[in-house]
Amino acid sequence: MFENIVELFSYKEMLVNLVRKELRTRYKGSVLGFLWTFINPLLQLIVYSLVFATIMRMNVKNYPMFLFVVLLPWIFFQNSVLISTGCIVGNKDLVKKVYFPREVLPIAVATSGLMNLLFGFVIVFPCIFIFHIKITYSILYLPIIILIEYILTLGFSILFACLNVYFRDLEHILGIFMMAWFYLTPVIYPVDLILPYIKYFYINPMTPIAIAFRDILYYGSSPDLLSLLITFIAGLLLLIFSYNVFKRLERNFAEEI
Amino acid sequence: MEIISVKDVCKKYRIFFDKGSTLKERLLFRNRNSYEERVILKDINLSIEKGETIGLIGENGCGKSTLLKLMTKIIYPDTGSLIIRGKVSSLLELGAGFHPDMTGRENIYMNASIFGLSKAQIDMKIKSIIDFSELQDHIDNPVRTYSSGMYMRLAFSIAINVQAEILLIDEILAVGDTNFQKKCYNKLKELKKEKVTIILVSHDLGSVERLCNKVVWLNEGKIQEEGTAKKIINSYLQFMNEKQAINVESSISEQNKNQEKSSEKEILYNEAGEKIDRWGEQEIQILGVNMLDDKKNVKHHFNCGDGATINIEYKKNKDEENYVFGVGIQNNDGNSCFGVNTSIDGIEIKSIKSTGNVEFVIEELPFLEGAYFIDVAVHSVDGRAYDYAKKVYQFNVITAVKAEGIVNIKHEWIIN
Repeated sequence: MFENIVELFSYKEMLVNLVRKELRTRYKGSVLGFLWTFINPLLQLIVYSLVFATIMRMNVKNYPMFLFVVLLPWIFFQNSVLISTGCIVGNKDLVKKVYFPREVLPIAVATSGLMNLLFGFVIVFPCIFIFHIKITYSILYLPIIILIEYILTLGFSILFACLNVYFRDLEHILGIFMMAWFYLTPVIYPVDLILPYIKYFYINPMTPIAIAFRDILYYGSSPDLLSLLITFIAGLLLLIFSYNVFKRLERNFAEEI
Repeated sequence: MEIISVKDVCKKYRIFFDKGSTLKERLLFRNRNSYEERVILKDINLSIEKGETIGLIGENGCGKSTLLKLMTKIIYPDTGSLIIRGKVSSLLELGAGFHPDMTGRENIYMNASIFGLSKAQIDMKIKSIIDFSELQDHIDNPVRTYSSGMYMRLAFSIAINVQAEILLIDEILAVGDTNFQKKCYNKLKELKKEKVTIILVSHDLGSVERLCNKVVWLNEGKIQEEGTAKKIINSYLQFMNEKQAINVESSISEQNKNQEKSSEKEILYNEAGEKIDRWGEQEIQILGVNMLDDKKNVKHHFNCGDGATINIEYKKNKDEENYVFGVGIQNNDGNSCFGVNTSIDGIEIKSIKSTGNVEFVIEELPFLEGAYFIDVAVHSVDGRAYDYAKKVYQFNVITAVKAEGIVNIKHEWIIN
């Protein structure tokens, strides 16, 4: 495994280029171009805010802001996993004709998702001031939480990317699955609503991450460190497991697709 | 130093007849997962030294590309081991990973990084890549605006400039116009001098012979022969010629079988089943014409320089005063290549048996590659035909001699 990681490191330039390509060519040809990176989550935000603040009358102050600080990390997770799932099959030509460590592909997808998240925060910070959310030293936890989410996202992305080569249904099943996952994560509702069942919700590794983002950026309080530590360890184990599965399945990629 | 070592490598492909790749199909139709195992490579042993240029030749489907893919680690062997010491750059397909919307320059960075180069290394190489591709004016345009030639030139330039220690090339030297091809060859020769190990898969035996110091000939997944370029290419050509001959032979004998019944008494049809041109009163009747090789086997295929015998069987229906037997050979275009008869050669025949045969013995067939037809005739000295049949027998010449024309003139060059 050590050798593999050394090799992966020597392909970091490819990773950088793939991320750049992903970010630059996704909206190529569209009139608004790169702006879509911002417009897309904003439009989602407007839809959800209309539904849950105006129609469903969720009793939360500054609902759009409440939603936005968790919606962005969720979109990062969801898009990365969904796009990664098809990335090996989608890059058929490359996989069949050129040698490179195949994990570069899902890692690039997850990393460009991370970049989009960071660009998204460019909008979040002005909003924090507009809505007078008090910023405490707990904001320093933000990079750590993003890192934990990145590790978790990598773990799922790498796992689904290699499994999808053998079971192509995964891509389609995952669409529905992600929708359920979205509603089972406290993104659109506050944790108070699910307090009686909270321990079940903690099985979902995205729950502590969502709660932590909201604690820091909406409530201005410090996050629950224990649950984050557990998530971090779980994410790391998942990543190691996924990486090993990927490396094992990787050998037959060129023949399977 | 041994840079590539292949030991007892076997590779099978599973050919699925109707494979379900979705979960539903896998669960519902388990029995559909029937497959056939096809052995692509069998017990391959190969040792390649640093700086060697190796040519891989063989028929289509013999496993050349599979062997290259194994060397790049795109696929892995079922059994055996493959050890590669050094950085591999493979040119299995040009322009894999190009993005049409990115400019030529961006694609250089993208593509070279796929080969594992760092940004600093690419910065160093970029000038020579652009120069080599001759795309200076277009390098900042999106690749989708390129012509296919420009596209290939760019891709080739990147792959050949990435400073690999081992370069694997699969049948892609036919890039660009003649000048660019020449440049590619020169570049390969330069790399050869720099001790880059090159493995070349090609059907262009001429360029293999010019570039490679060693050639490996794969046949049906096994190494048939390896050795110096000239020797192996010759025996490969010989093998391919013979194989073609067997095909010709079997297709012709198939046709003959269909005609056997009708042609027992008279030859009215040629090999192709066409009615042949034939005239004369048949005082002497030609019963059959065959061409035999040195071992007296009927054959339709000969190599240039082989010995051959044209055998004419006849039957006498009426006594005549004199007899002349003639043989003519014409090529596919209908040009007469050679024609002679017993009278021209000064042989007088006053009497013949009631049935018999005449043999026309050719010491060395001088013809170059192509299809030829035999005309035979029996006539009187004054030219009245008893039986004259045109194009009664077809034979093919297959040869490694590449000279042009009809006959191979024995020659040598003296350059002063």
